[in-house]
Amino acid sequence: MALFGRRNVLLVLLAVALVLPAVANSYQLYIGNLVLIYTLLAIGMNLLLGFAGQLAFANAAMFGIGAYGTGLLQVHFGLPFAIAFPAGALIAAAVGLAISFPALRLSGLYLALSTLAFAQFTQWIFLHWEGVTFGAGGFKTPQISFDPLPVSKPVGLYYLSLLVAVALYIFARNLVASRVGRAFVAVRDGEVAAQSLGVDLLRTKALAFGISGFYAGVAGGLYSQALNYVSPEGYDLFQIVLHKAMIVVGGMGSVAGSLLGAGIIIIVLELLRAVKGAQEIVFGGILLVFVLFLRGGLISVIQRYVKGWDEPLHAAPPRRDEPPPLAVPATPVAERAAP
Amino acid sequence: MMLSYILLSGVTTGALYALVALGIVIVNKATGVINFAQGELFMFSGFLAWALHVQFGIGYPLTLVLAIAGGFLLGVMTDRIAFQPLKNVDVVSLVLATVGIAFILRGVARVIWGGKGDYLTFPPITSPEPIMIGEIMIIPQQLAVLAGAVLIMALFWLFFRYTRAGKMMQATADNAKAATLVGIRTDRIYALAFGTGTAVAAAAAVLAAPLTLLYPDMGFSFFIKGFAAAVLGGLTSLPGAILGGLLVGIAEALAGGYIASSLMEVSGFVVIMLVLVIMPSGLLGARRLRRV
Amino acid sequence: MTAPALRVEGVSVGFGGVRVLEGVDLDVKPGEIRGLIGPNGAGKTTLLNVICGIHRPDAGRVLLDGVPITGKKPSSIAQLGLGRTFQTSQLFRGMTVLENLMAGLYRRTTTNVLAAGLNLRSHREEEERTEEAARKALEFVGMAQFADRPGTALSFGQQRVVEIARTLISEPRVVLLDEPAVGLSLNRLAEFDALLRRIRDEKGVALILIEHVIRLVMDVCDRVTVLSSGRRIAEGVPDEVRNDRQVIEAYLGKELRARHS
Repeated sequence: MALFGRRNVLLVLLAVALVLPAVANSYQLYIGNLVLIYTLLAIGMNLLLGFAGQLAFANAAMFGIGAYGTGLLQVHFGLPFAIAFPAGALIAAAVGLAISFPALRLSGLYLALSTLAFAQFTQWIFLHWEGVTFGAGGFKTPQISFDPLPVSKPVGLYYLSLLVAVALYIFARNLVASRVGRAFVAVRDGEVAAQSLGVDLLRTKALAFGISGFYAGVAGGLYSQALNYVSPEGYDLFQIVLHKAMIVVGGMGSVAGSLLGAGIIIIVLELLRAVKGAQEIVFGGILLVFVLFLRGGLISVIQRYVKGWDEPLHAAPPRRDEPPPLAVPATPVAERAAP
Repeated sequence: MMLSYILLSGVTTGALYALVALGIVIVNKATGVINFAQGELFMFSGFLAWALHVQFGIGYPLTLVLAIAGGFLLGVMTDRIAFQPLKNVDVVSLVLATVGIAFILRGVARVIWGGKGDYLTFPPITSPEPIMIGEIMIIPQQLAVLAGAVLIMALFWLFFRYTRAGKMMQATADNAKAATLVGIRTDRIYALAFGTGTAVAAAAAVLAAPLTLLYPDMGFSFFIKGFAAAVLGGLTSLPGAILGGLLVGIAEALAGGYIASSLMEVSGFVVIMLVLVIMPSGLLGARRLRRV
Repeated sequence: MTAPALRVEGVSVGFGGVRVLEGVDLDVKPGEIRGLIGPNGAGKTTLLNVICGIHRPDAGRVLLDGVPITGKKPSSIAQLGLGRTFQTSQLFRGMTVLENLMAGLYRRTTTNVLAAGLNLRSHREEEERTEEAARKALEFVGMAQFADRPGTALSFGQQRVVEIARTLISEPRVVLLDEPAVGLSLNRLAEFDALLRRIRDEKGVALILIEHVIRLVMDVCDRVTVLSSGRRIAEGVPDEVRNDRQVIEAYLGKELRARHS
């Protein structure tokens, strides 16, 4: 077994994560929590885009819906967090599923644009449905406590995030190593061939949308409590570049890469916290540079040089790193233009 | 509010959307992709024009020409950085690359020209005072924008109709392979398309600036509405883009005037969803969107 | 007489006023290798697309094992037991050869999202069975040593064979092979010939072979159907078809003329 294989590295990381509250100050604990939350977002995004190949921009919207759903169920209906949190995640999953139906009749660029427009639409709802969402100012989330456990709220919330993140990480790992994961990749790599094996395109894509929405919704519920506050800004378009940058940096079509990407992006984000413009430049730049020069993400570098990081469904990098061979050219984007 | 006033302002903003849509359609026709940085290129060109006009005191007509030239260069850069290296790779990488460029442009604009929520005013071209012609209230500024938009549309029409470059772009759009066979260098055509598409957007930005003010986040909403207009027009039709732009502009002015002004912000989304779900080929598009 | 595994009844298709298929009939028995030939533009690919549900015919219908499948989605038709391969290699880039084969068993497996994500025992067992079946199928086509390679790292001919194995693994009733011999060298062609016979003899599946390599068709097919300009102009055992005047005129003749001009 390789000493620096994935299993060992993840176990060490888990051990560090478990003792973090004992050694970290409250700011570091908050950052740790953010990494966990964004790992969930990245896995959800990766299942949809990296595995199922669906270029959608609605993840930020699902993140917001999870946060608003969790918060508002507590505020308006007095539900306890223990119910509001899963309910919020399920609402996000349901919305993800619902938007997939009109959106999935479209492919490629049209899917991207209609989901982008949907993300803008949810922003608008958060801003203008003031009776329910409290408008631009947002709202404070109710305090939760972890009684009778002997932990403060930040520590309890951190452990809750850790528990959920570990569970959903394992869930995703199992999922991609199954017929469902293979169906996702089949749809990504060749829709016609996937159909010829009996894979129903609409159902498979809708499933990916629903699962992805669920992950984003769970992340949103945890995020609302991490900030103690929900407002439209937290889920705006900037999230789009963050989420995409995470999976491109970590590695498309890699669950471990999602964790890697989330960790890196959150740390960079914190370093740049003060300057919004700089964040946009850096994350836009990261996205561009990785897409141009390292399409497999950092995970592909690790897989090349360190033993024990192989993954299922990761035979060739999901995208071409080399120009297509002359004999059998893939249809270039430009040629698809011709009507 | 008077209907005539609403209609006129709808037509004016609609003409701006039409220009943004034209930029999207020009790129899409030639290359088959949507430039997701189109909105930010529009915004950035607007700020460039502001710098030229307000900071360096260059006159408005020359500013317009320089901004169009600057837009053209920005478009060619987008082609060189994102499209050329990725055009044979896959659509996902291409879109992500243009999204990356979009955010870089946003960030640069924010760092140079102001933080979130800061609006820069662009001096009006004509008197901002409304004038009354009979019962109809007219804001000269709007008329100037409308006239400018019509002029620019006419110029691009002439470009496509009569210049060699324009004709070659048409040929490439119709059949990229055949164009290569007859010796058209398609790489240049792609660069030209990105350049021209952004130049139209730059022209729109200079016209829009005095009406809408300038802020780093303005690009996205213009992009979504421009795309709505382009989709309404069928995504590959230039007249369709103009018609679509006017319709989106008028529809949102009516919704804003008679229902609630906040509705104007989501007109783009509503139009996109309606068109894509009900009428995927748009009003004038010959080609159906690819369906599953 | 055995009931046909696949029956095509009076299928007509037109695109924008151009008739591509005109009342085509076809009966293929279980365990038969049927050749489908014809000059370019005869409508072979269109017929194939009608059978697997990509095109909907203007008239006529298709039955798979007596069940009408016209109008169903391609994935539903595949679920009912129709397999196919493609003119260009359609292995999934992100998968190894073994994973490609495992994906081929999609229609024969049932694990849902929860069972997979929670790694329930039913899922683990099914996964083991899937892998075993995939390895066996690779052995059958003589590709076992490539199991863990990326599918796209194989040679073109090898990819075609893997694709056929991926289709066969779910034990379909009928398999459509769309020009499987393109790009194969002559010695490879002989191996391929043998493979097709073994598939027929051991799997009992009906194969429909659309092919330009006439030698392969004439060698391996039990019966041959000839399409020309959207009509069926001949059908019979290879020798009959070879000597059919209409076929020589419509198909071979055209080729010969083209070659000599």
